[in-house]
Amino acid sequence: MSKTLVMLLAGGVGSRLNALVEARAKPAVPFGGNYRIIDFTLSNIMNSGLDRVGVLTQYKPLSLMSHIGSGKAWDLEGRNRGIKILPPHTGEKDSDWYKGTADALRQNLDYLTRYDPEEILIVSGDHIYYMDYAPMIAFHKRRKADLTVAMMEVPPEQAVHFGIAQVDGAGKIIDWEEKPKKPKSTLASLGIYVFRTGYLLKALQDPGAMDFGQDLIPGAIRRDAVYAYPFSGYWRDVGTLAFYFAAHMDLLNPRSVLNPEAWGVQTNLEEEGLQGDRSPVIIQKGARVVQSFLGADTIIEGRVETSVLFPGVRVGKGARVINSIIMHDCQIEAKAHLNRVIMDKKGRVGEQARITGLADLPNREFPGHLKEGLTLVGKGVSIPSKTRIQGNTIIRPWVGEGDFSGLNVAPGETIRKK
Amino acid sequence: MASILAFILAGGRVDELSVLTYNRPKSALPFAGNFRVIDFALSNLMHARIGQVGILSQYRSASLITHIGNGAAWDMHGHRRQVALLPPSKGQQDSDWYKGTADAVAHNLEFIYENNPDLVMIVSGDHIYRMDYKGMIQFHQDREADVTVGFIKVSLNEANRFGLGTIKTTKGHSGGRLIGYQEKPAQPQSQWASLTIYLFKTKVLLEVLKGTHPHTGREAIEFGRDILPNLVQQYRVFGYTFSGYWGYTRTLDEYWRTHMDLFGPDSRIDLKSWQIRTNLEHERIRERQPAIVARQAQVDQVLLTSGCVVEGNVRRSVLFPGVHIEEGAVVEDSILFFDTIIESGAVLKKVITDKRVRVGEKARIGGGPKGKPNRAFPHLLSSGLTIIGRNTHLPPQIRVGANCILNPYLEEDAFASPEIPSGATVS
Repeated sequence: MSKTLVMLLAGGVGSRLNALVEARAKPAVPFGGNYRIIDFTLSNIMNSGLDRVGVLTQYKPLSLMSHIGSGKAWDLEGRNRGIKILPPHTGEKDSDWYKGTADALRQNLDYLTRYDPEEILIVSGDHIYYMDYAPMIAFHKRRKADLTVAMMEVPPEQAVHFGIAQVDGAGKIIDWEEKPKKPKSTLASLGIYVFRTGYLLKALQDPGAMDFGQDLIPGAIRRDAVYAYPFSGYWRDVGTLAFYFAAHMDLLNPRSVLNPEAWGVQTNLEEEGLQGDRSPVIIQKGARVVQSFLGADTIIEGRVETSVLFPGVRVGKGARVINSIIMHDCQIEAKAHLNRVIMDKKGRVGEQARITGLADLPNREFPGHLKEGLTLVGKGVSIPSKTRIQGNTIIRPWVGEGDFSGLNVAPGETIRKK
Repeated sequence: MASILAFILAGGRVDELSVLTYNRPKSALPFAGNFRVIDFALSNLMHARIGQVGILSQYRSASLITHIGNGAAWDMHGHRRQVALLPPSKGQQDSDWYKGTADAVAHNLEFIYENNPDLVMIVSGDHIYRMDYKGMIQFHQDREADVTVGFIKVSLNEANRFGLGTIKTTKGHSGGRLIGYQEKPAQPQSQWASLTIYLFKTKVLLEVLKGTHPHTGREAIEFGRDILPNLVQQYRVFGYTFSGYWGYTRTLDEYWRTHMDLFGPDSRIDLKSWQIRTNLEHERIRERQPAIVARQAQVDQVLLTSGCVVEGNVRRSVLFPGVHIEEGAVVEDSILFFDTIIESGAVLKKVITDKRVRVGEKARIGGGPKGKPNRAFPHLLSSGLTIIGRNTHLPPQIRVGANCILNPYLEEDAFASPEIPSGATVS
């Protein structure tokens, strides 16, 4: 049995993913044909030999809970192992929603001490990466650290998004800035922490400490033994639509090291109450498929290029799907063309519709979410035949054919249910 | 609804399937990538909400035992639901191997007594079909039948291979009174072939089986051959007719042709709407990533599964999980089981490879003249198929003809000659 307890922060809203997080938390967003984002972290936990996990949820946890199920898919079900969902609960005060990462742990002190762990590993369910946590825990013990933070070098222009540290020769953190405007270094925190249990419990006694990066670490580096554990390898934040799309393109690039099967990434294939199991992929006569990932149960009669198709997708005769991410059970009818489209589950594109992501102008309503030339189609959307949709458009979830006011949708528009 | 207990007949070793049944019973044979043949019967039972199932098996059950697991995959695991593997056990007499279908059920009367069902359903685990058993059960109850047997219409020229029923059908009804039954008659009088689906009132089954109980010494071993022909006079027996797709896998040729039925716009195998369940634990299906079709690949009428990587040219073929077709390789009309690797430049035509076969670079397998049946097993293999047993590794540049059988576990050095002529067997 491992002496390390894992706390997985899965509360992230991920609002920049827009329609993809309308009804699910960011860690539950589907990724790469078979997976959800959180599968990468859960599989890292399993592959690191860790066996007790608490999952802190807050925002729209339903699909996350059904996905995690008993934890069996990640070998977390058994006499000496387990995974526990820890939603916010009412305490002595009225509103006990989690106010930050540290606060979420503070509200679950019972769970932190239940198994008497030596260390507590804190990870988030928001990133696509492979990491063996065991060497980091060993590093933490060797340094007799109070707290160890996993860090990697990032390009200077990205440093503004992270907690940035400066370290001494032994790896001890001597300076910390949270999302600095003018970063003094490019060593960025990945939001993966190992705490000595006693140290964490003491630190959480400060009722003002709500968040690790903001409140807890800056004080800790002055007083205590706080180390940076160096990580290098594939690690990607998929918190924006552009990053999310780029990570999928990595998947299709044979030279990329992003390789879920080689990384031992597991998912839960039985979550959705399917009547039968997903059947195999069928590529029909006259179809053409190049450089694509095909989830189970896709049936292809048309053309698919540089795309990731999730299970159950249909691509009709003469249809073309290029540079796109199409989620579960979408139907692309005959002669419809899609280029640079992210389409959430259970949507339908009518015959001869043309959807492109390319546009010069950002989305008018959400310029911060969508400006890179992609079109986002929410869950359950039905697009009428022959509709032409221009780039940087967002079609919000459950928009039906009647919600379109004409056959042309201008660049940067957002369409909602009437 | 009546309480129902089901038996799946999953016992037989079938020599007709050659090296594919070298160490698995026919019902455990893989089918269409993710599935095994028995999944079709199990899923039909699940959809009819039948949760008490016994599987009668005696030939190399290991892969079947692993596959069935605790039955949870088919919702047959719970307080009142179970699936039990019922291999032969030593009884009071020395040799208590199952001698046939009825004999196998007669050895397991305890299983019936324990569960005390109203009806007992007996189905074969060897067929590829989706049937709503609930319809047949309703029919049985509406007619107050003692026994109902499922039938399908086949063409007259192949009818002699089946048990044939004479049914008094009336228009608009899905069957009628069964007035005659003959097992594989030389001169077929009927086109209604038995699906090997029997529904018995428990009381009637027990009466019938008394005659075949292993310790009474009476010779009534097979339902089709020994029991059904006489049954129609003694009991209220009905024939229930089924008109969906029914694929069989009795011979290599049938197994191959049933796979080819997966393709084409008029395919009658609709795996999606059939809602077939399997055990995703087997062959690490759940651990594999989506299928990858690479930039330089060409695919036309192909069934792909998770973990496949296609870099070459594939037509009219079924690729099981983990199959890798390297760049420049050509695969046509073939069925490749789990983790088969076809190295670059190799060409396969009409080949079935069992698990973990590796074909070396620029090898050419199959596709020779059909004229020469397999010399050792001419009756099994004459349609031009070539079969490669599991874990066999073929050296680069080898030539293998049609109607060849290559045994399992052959290493490259087992192939002394660079050319295996059509009709040869390598062991």
